[in-house]
Amino acid sequence: MPEQTFEELRRYLLNSGITPRHVKRTIAELNDHFDDLQLEGKSGGLSTLDAQAFAEARIGEHKLIAQNMLAKTELKTWIYRYPRVARLYLPVAYLLLLPAAPVFAGAEHASAVARWGTSLMVSAAVTAAMLLLMQIAITLT
Amino acid sequence: MGQTNPPFMSGVPELLLLRLLGQREMYGYELVKSIKLVTSDAISLGEGVIYPVLHALERHGSLKAKRKKVDGRTRVYYSLTAKGKKRLERLHGEWQRIQTGITAALEVPANA
Repeated sequence: MPEQTFEELRRYLLNSGITPRHVKRTIAELNDHFDDLQLEGKSGGLSTLDAQAFAEARIGEHKLIAQNMLAKTELKTWIYRYPRVARLYLPVAYLLLLPAAPVFAGAEHASAVARWGTSLMVSAAVTAAMLLLMQIAITLT
Repeated sequence: MGQTNPPFMSGVPELLLLRLLGQREMYGYELVKSIKLVTSDAISLGEGVIYPVLHALERHGSLKAKRKKVDGRTRVYYSLTAKGKKRLERLHGEWQRIQTGITAALEVPANA
């Protein structure tokens, strides 16, 4: 079964607010179901192409699957279930998290931060050593 | 393939799924086959449509989903929970009430 058969449905469901967990499992289950139907068709004497058409017909319209999925609000992410609450609380939450943004960014790019930090410390040490040598030279003369 | 009957389907897939899963755990394709078998092909639905119902019932706590590897394939098996049993009893009661009402209405002569 070509994975792209349900790819459009997968994207549509995700864009419509169905939780990624349910989308992932639904698509996997539909793929399995499709495989079973194809096998059923082939064991009934159909050619590969006819078995695929048979499976597609039995699975039903993707639009209908999507409609049924979207009608179940419990399968949607909370932002889609409670849009008013999300509109009120998300900006507040982002404002609260703003001061911590550099920490998150740092954690996400830890290796780059470590590289830059080491470079800064080395250059600070070199500068300090040069200043110390200059100070010693001044003191001795 | 039998004709689909969407106008009469509201709530029916849910009732049938709960009823069948009350007997033993099953996965999607198996469930559709069982529905066809127990209803003698009278109820036919776009088979992909059962997954939203199964997922919603799982979210509600009526079903439990479990992944199992069978013949090298991972399948999602559904089974009925205690909450699901109560839901099935309630839906069964509602269905019988409606059925009784409709049967009574149909038995009245048309020109009565």
